[in-house]
Amino acid sequence: MPNAEFPHKWGMVIDLDKCTGCQACVIACQAENNIPINTKDYFLQRRAYEWIRIERYWEGEYPNIKARFMPVLCQHCENAPCEPVCPVFATYHNEEGLNVQVYNRCVGTRYCINNCPYQVRMFNYWHPNWPARLENQLNPDVTVRTRGITEKCTFCVQRLRRGEIEVEARGGQRLSDERITGGNYDPACVQACPTNALVFGDLEDQDTSIKPYFDDVNAHPGHGEHDRETRGYRLLEEMNTRPSVIYLKKIDQYPLKGGH
Amino acid sequence: MKLTRRNFLAWAGIAATGAIACDLFDDELRVQSPALIPEDLVKGRDNWYATYDGSVPGGEGVLVRVMEGRAKKVRGNPRFPTNQGKQSAASDALLQSLYHPDRIAGPMLRNGPRGSGRYRPISWEEALNRFNAAVEDRGNGMLLITEDRKCSFAKICGAFAETFGGRHVAFGGAADDTAYRAAVKDVMGTDSLPFHDIANAHALASFGSDFLSTWGNPTAYSVAYGKFRSHADVGDRGRHYHFGSRYSMTAANADKWIPINPGSEGYAAMAVAWAVASTHPESSAVAQITGEAGPGALSEFIPDALVDVLGIPDEVLDGYSIREFFENLAHDYMAHGGLAIGGGGEAGAYSNGQFNASAVLILNHILGNVGEKGGLLPDPGSPISDTPTAAPVASLADWQRIAGDINSGAAPLVIIHNANPVYGLPPSIGLEGALGNEGVVVISASQFLDETSAMADLLLPDRAALEDWGDDLPDPMPGYHLYAVQQPVVNPLADLDPRSFPDVLLNAAATLGRGDSMPAENYEAMIRSNVEEILGADLNDTLMYGGWWNENVTGRAATPPEGTLARIARNASPANIVGSGNFHLQPYEHHTVRDGRNAHLPWAQSAPDPLTTVTWQTWVDINEKQGRDELGLREGDVVNITTGAGSIQALVYLNPGTPPGIAAVPMGGGRTLGSSYATDRDARESSNVMSILEPVVVDGSGGLAWSSNRCSITPTGDSMAVSKLEGDYTSREVGEHPAEQVYKSVSAEGGHGH
Repeated sequence: MPNAEFPHKWGMVIDLDKCTGCQACVIACQAENNIPINTKDYFLQRRAYEWIRIERYWEGEYPNIKARFMPVLCQHCENAPCEPVCPVFATYHNEEGLNVQVYNRCVGTRYCINNCPYQVRMFNYWHPNWPARLENQLNPDVTVRTRGITEKCTFCVQRLRRGEIEVEARGGQRLSDERITGGNYDPACVQACPTNALVFGDLEDQDTSIKPYFDDVNAHPGHGEHDRETRGYRLLEEMNTRPSVIYLKKIDQYPLKGGH
Repeated sequence: MKLTRRNFLAWAGIAATGAIACDLFDDELRVQSPALIPEDLVKGRDNWYATYDGSVPGGEGVLVRVMEGRAKKVRGNPRFPTNQGKQSAASDALLQSLYHPDRIAGPMLRNGPRGSGRYRPISWEEALNRFNAAVEDRGNGMLLITEDRKCSFAKICGAFAETFGGRHVAFGGAADDTAYRAAVKDVMGTDSLPFHDIANAHALASFGSDFLSTWGNPTAYSVAYGKFRSHADVGDRGRHYHFGSRYSMTAANADKWIPINPGSEGYAAMAVAWAVASTHPESSAVAQITGEAGPGALSEFIPDALVDVLGIPDEVLDGYSIREFFENLAHDYMAHGGLAIGGGGEAGAYSNGQFNASAVLILNHILGNVGEKGGLLPDPGSPISDTPTAAPVASLADWQRIAGDINSGAAPLVIIHNANPVYGLPPSIGLEGALGNEGVVVISASQFLDETSAMADLLLPDRAALEDWGDDLPDPMPGYHLYAVQQPVVNPLADLDPRSFPDVLLNAAATLGRGDSMPAENYEAMIRSNVEEILGADLNDTLMYGGWWNENVTGRAATPPEGTLARIARNASPANIVGSGNFHLQPYEHHTVRDGRNAHLPWAQSAPDPLTTVTWQTWVDINEKQGRDELGLREGDVVNITTGAGSIQALVYLNPGTPPGIAAVPMGGGRTLGSSYATDRDARESSNVMSILEPVVVDGSGGLAWSSNRCSITPTGDSMAVSKLEGDYTSREVGEHPAEQVYKSVSAEGGHGH
């Protein structure tokens, strides 16, 4: 359980200028979070489980073409549209700013999935299934979700809890950026990202590297993008969901002529 | 007291007032207590062991989380010098290789026709007796074919083969890099690859090679690439130009992609070299390499003369002439610390592949960055004496000889370990037919059945990387001495009985009375000896760090001998593209499945291709406009791809980034034997592009020029759904919104894009 002595508000910054689309985050997430094997049929039915996915957008056409890579995961919104529509309180906001899914409460109405503008909630259409030997790899810290419920990114809350137990409760020290990374308490996607395009931190920690980006975006809400000192923006900001994930714009050395 | 309505209301009022006064409501009315989820209640102790994954390009130092004897997660080792705490998707999949349901459980003997994959289990005692008898009877002339591992593994294999009169050859994979290696040997004088210090470079030009995906050490280079991009907010962001004929992941990440004709990477590099030399003749590096001739030494590569050779579309020149374009690049290079990367991988897959690679290497010399921060860091050589830094990779001509030797009986015994040349080489080499010859005894040691191991009479189950010892000299090293150690982090499961292949060889040699000729008694002892006796390090410390390194022993930046530039220039020749048809067939290594070696791993198959987002299937990238408007193709159409050597089928992916006239097909599909994850597929959506390649050879190195075929594309009239992540199904993509509302960019000058 969270330690009241060290309040947290978890957040993430994703630098689109560094994301190469390599999929390391996607597979690291699936390995950490007991996500079932996405078979070909899952993709064909548009029901593959990816708590984090790399969206690829095309801009322009040959030869002036750009493929854009953007990691999308649960934005852990402060005004989360998924939360008020759950009839059984299976999804709620916890005291650390996480949008939590309580699997045992979920009855599978999928209202939350309909209401999420980021399309990051997955419905379990099938019983999770691994061949016998592959079950040995399952992470004992993470629930294997059953058929008929909704699941999504948790910011690897099980890693954060380990950090809170080992560093804060036992060690009496705050989970700083350095201790999070050093202790492997970063979400699996952040830990794996080879270019460090994904950075995780605690907004209650005044020294976290991600705080300036949040402060800048918060100081210029809505369409004040051009006043921002950083490249930060929130995904679909006009919806006022106040995500805990900030994106940093891609830098175009050679913008496409007649681009957007 | 009689309970009247008046009394009841009075008492109820008193009770409610009391409850409020006593602050009961706060607690009593909080019907929803904070929910505990299992993830809140983590318990149990985990142990993290450092080891090494040599199966990914360049190798990665990893940490493995182990709980109660089971491996749970692989992550990059933060201390390891190359990947610095990060890992590729393939390294994560080490777990699936370890706990794979299709692993060979115990020794087996063939009881069906060769290649049928029918076997019966036998004991290890019987298996070793058969193995030893085969070596004793047929060792003279035997072939030991392994994957391209180096260090102790290669030393044991080499000693074993030599002891019994045979030879050890390595299969470098379908997309081997023999052309690049030969160029490195020629220009830099080293056996192993140089490291590109991307992190400290400021202007980067890459030539063909997909170094962010499959070439060199993609994870280490991606870590460096992140640093290269790091100073974005202070105006010192590194700029990246990519010359290549395919819109690869690296091309997609470059600031500017400059499409060129297939096989002209070397010309592009020499044109940049000319621009650097002619605009900066005062540079000492330019003077040293060009000699008395000065920029004139590169006069054949003046960009104006290469318009047709390079085929750069005018639209990407930003209104400049081609000469001005190259000169601008040269100015950027010289002003900001330029680095040239590539020449291998896709760029080396042509008859002129060695020229392409040599040109990129000599460009770095002209830039004066060799051995410098932000430049090309030469290989420092092996820290372990008498230990090869490169595997004995066989060339295409070698494979032709090998097939001949097997057919003629000169090689009466073939022992294969974790290599699949039957799948990865063009069928015209005839290796499958040779191994099918009943006169030869074939023994395979591997974790899984595949097209080559299925030719074996005797199958020996091998240990997984996480169950076995091993060591490696990562290739490339990070510019200084690095020795990686792999240790067993878990024991095999109870239903599996694998044995380490090097130990099988060492035991066989000892049993046959030839133990003295071998370098050690067992695999572990050899690694211990390397660490303790040669490096003088403590084994436990080395295991904790995942290896040993010494930043003080760096590679020597030798100037190429005089005349090297002139020789490279003389060797310039256009790529020999064979066959007919309207398309250039451009095979490429799949991002995660690679050349098919990871096809049995579900995570590798299900990871969407970064550009197309296709999973599980084989597709052909065809330019969107050309495919739709000229050929009338739609996505998912099944087409025949026909070369002079054969025909396969694949699904069309209309790719807006693919140049017209290019048919790009990922390797790795069409596996026919082995794991169900690799083989259970319709031939229309899973095919092996290597099977239709004509055996064109790289001049000089003799490797397979696997990108040298023309092909025709003909629709079959059939179509299938494409298994991909992208799509117009709105509940799976933020993409239902206009892209500019979602993905935002800003121009480097500071103005906002969208």
